[in-house]
Amino acid sequence: MPSLSQQQMLEIFSGLVAVGSCLDDSESLKTYGKDWTTAWEPCPALILLPASTEEVQAIVGAANEHGVALVPSGGRTGLSGGAVAAKSEVIVALDRMNQLGEFDPVDRTVVCQAGVITGQLQAFAQDQGLVYPVDFASADSSQLGGNISTNAGGVKVIRYGTTRQWVAGLKVVTGKGDILDLNKGLVKNATGYDLRHLFIGAEGTLGFVVEATMQLTSTPKASSVLVLGVPDFLAMTNLLDAFRKAFDLMAFEFFSDRALNYVLARGGTRPFETVTPLYALLEIEHVSEKTLEEILEVFERVKLQGWVEEGVMSQSQEQAHALWQLREGISESIASKMPYKNDLSVRVSKLPAFIEELDEVVRRSYPDMETIWYGHLGDGNLHLNILKPEDQSQEHFFQTCNEVNRHVFEIVEKYGGSVSAEHGVGLLKKPHLNYTRSATEIEYMKSLKAVFDPNGIMNPGKLV
Amino acid sequence: MKILVYLKQVPHQDARLDISSDGTWIEESNIKFEINSYDTYALEEALKAKDSEGAEVVVVTAGQDRVTQALRTALGMGADRAIHIKDEAVDASDVLGVAKVLAAVAKEESPDLILTGLMSEDSGFAAIGPMIGEFAGIASTTAVVGIEREGGKLTVERELEGGNLEVVEINTPCLVSVQTGINQVRYASLKGIMQAKKKTIDVKTAADLGVGDAISPKLTTEKVSVPVKGETAELVEGSTDEIAAKLAAKIKELGLL
Ligand SMILES: Cc1cc2nc3c(=O)[nH]c(=O)nc-3n(C[C@H](O)[C@H](O)[C@H](O)COP(=O)(O)OP(=O)(O)OC[C@H]3O[C@@H](n4cnc5c(N)ncnc54)[C@H](O)[C@@H]3O)c2cc1C
Repeated sequence: MPSLSQQQMLEIFSGLVAVGSCLDDSESLKTYGKDWTTAWEPCPALILLPASTEEVQAIVGAANEHGVALVPSGGRTGLSGGAVAAKSEVIVALDRMNQLGEFDPVDRTVVCQAGVITGQLQAFAQDQGLVYPVDFASADSSQLGGNISTNAGGVKVIRYGTTRQWVAGLKVVTGKGDILDLNKGLVKNATGYDLRHLFIGAEGTLGFVVEATMQLTSTPKASSVLVLGVPDFLAMTNLLDAFRKAFDLMAFEFFSDRALNYVLARGGTRPFETVTPLYALLEIEHVSEKTLEEILEVFERVKLQGWVEEGVMSQSQEQAHALWQLREGISESIASKMPYKNDLSVRVSKLPAFIEELDEVVRRSYPDMETIWYGHLGDGNLHLNILKPEDQSQEHFFQTCNEVNRHVFEIVEKYGGSVSAEHGVGLLKKPHLNYTRSATEIEYMKSLKAVFDPNGIMNPGKLV
Repeated sequence: MKILVYLKQVPHQDARLDISSDGTWIEESNIKFEINSYDTYALEEALKAKDSEGAEVVVVTAGQDRVTQALRTALGMGADRAIHIKDEAVDASDVLGVAKVLAAVAKEESPDLILTGLMSEDSGFAAIGPMIGEFAGIASTTAVVGIEREGGKLTVERELEGGNLEVVEINTPCLVSVQTGINQVRYASLKGIMQAKKKTIDVKTAADLGVGDAISPKLTTEKVSVPVKGETAELVEGSTDEIAAKLAAKIKELGLL
């Protein structure tokens, strides 16, 4: 793309948004230029904060005319560098499009601008006596536009699916500059290609999500949170199987003792004194008065099998919250260690064999590095984090990991898994996309991008 | 030392509550019940004393069959035995009647210390503690946020309005009702709950305790209802500046400044 001077950029774009909505001070450039990844130095040209779909459309128009690359930016909690601007791109941040619109109590849908914070929608749903069930540790910072563009998953996928399941309608501005109103909130709509689903998980490479009609659902009954001490991965997968057979689980998460120690270093208490290599966290809805009895029965059975050594159950909301913190606090607790993050998935049925092989390769490949396991086991999703040794430069560390991690990806490929279960591809996973998508498939993806974004202005260099 | 802990089973904080068909209480079928959170702090205080200096912890509750779950959980957390007052007349009584029955247990057990929560989360009378103390003929104090024991005397901190604390000395035996946050309540161990099956739960009626005649209710619930949503909210809309100006005008108009 032709390189324009900062002054030229300002002349082209600053008039397209309200006064005060075009930022180019160094502090803002640094903040808006990056997400949760640390491998890239932020270097955007400008930040634009549009307040309407029309303003977004005008920005896309000007970018096409002048050949300027745009980076859509949400809450910047992404973990794959999707919202990183390191090549003088113009950042278009949806922060000011943060209004909740019409709520329809019959359809149980609410219209949200793309910049609505996930937690804002959750709170709104609660006020209506309903629930927006997609949830994760970054929900108080991430935006719906970002959630939709990464098809965010989280801690309740086993019960409620990913973000995709909750998008009833979507309004987008394509890379070409057209406004499309997709699916219009319909439950059934058999009229050909569902373009809505192309934009879900597209990481801003096809256009901007500007508005979404989000589906809400009934509040579940009261639930209990269990944390169980588990001796090894085989026991863990057996446990998942046993509990899945007995209950329609709300969550089945796991973490290693190392992960737990990082969380505890920042506060909180151990669930029990017995130290086990792994822990499972389950949330179970009390569908009847018998549920507690049934939980105890299953516990007794898995205990006899030796799959569990210890276990506790929450007695109150505070305790449920404190137990969840042990799992949800992990990502933040290791952030200062600049982890190399793996976000792998396989079909649940393949987990036992997959984990066994993976564990073996990780031990062999990263003999001197600290590895932290946790994740959404119930969805076949493992977060394997490699922590940077203190004495290694970040660059060297990432290079080593990228090299060594090949063996990890080869196993993912062998088991027909994904190199990015829920964090997206962005910059981080782009070199490894081929382990999950075939060359032909990637070619089709590129062709699709060209249809919506013929000049390649939308988030270039990311995903495909 | 023997410590008696009174606890009540109440609907889970998250439970969806519907009014029962006769309009005098909530629909209890199919909701999850748990130990009243104030009482879990009382239980923890007792278990802490047991851990540090040894004590027999006896938990007591009144209610239908479902309350055995609360007792089993408490036993699983470390209580030694449990007393379940199972008597429809007690369930149909009022706070005064229940207090008489619970006090009769205290007289039978003669504990050194009675702990309970400041109030229940469902009916919220905050009265049963002092009533039990009175009927059992022992001193009581409420809203306690710190307990120190030395010999036959407790020094307790009570929470007052505005963040103030009152320090009270009280001789044992006595009854102390505790405020939430006084300690960190331990989790219920699943292994513990399983093993608690072996511990005893004594089932008694008001008549067994000699108070069968004294509990006819003096208080009946007329009606339980959901507050009607007000229609009087006025939404101020516009840009930040416009909203600020409209708010200022409204404040002046209402003569609030
Ligand atoms: C502590 C922590 C825990 C996390 N846990 C989870 C988890 O459990 N599950 C999970 O799935 N993720 C998790 N994440 C990752 C992250 O929060 C999600 O990917 C989230 O959906 C990103 O939303 P965001 O608004 O921050 O997006 P950003 O990071 O701002 O952007 C993500 C991508 O979407 C694009 N984008 C953003 N807004 C738009 C828009 N309006 N139109 C088009 N494209 C857009 C960006 O260009 C980028 O490619 C976690 C992150 C953190 C920091």
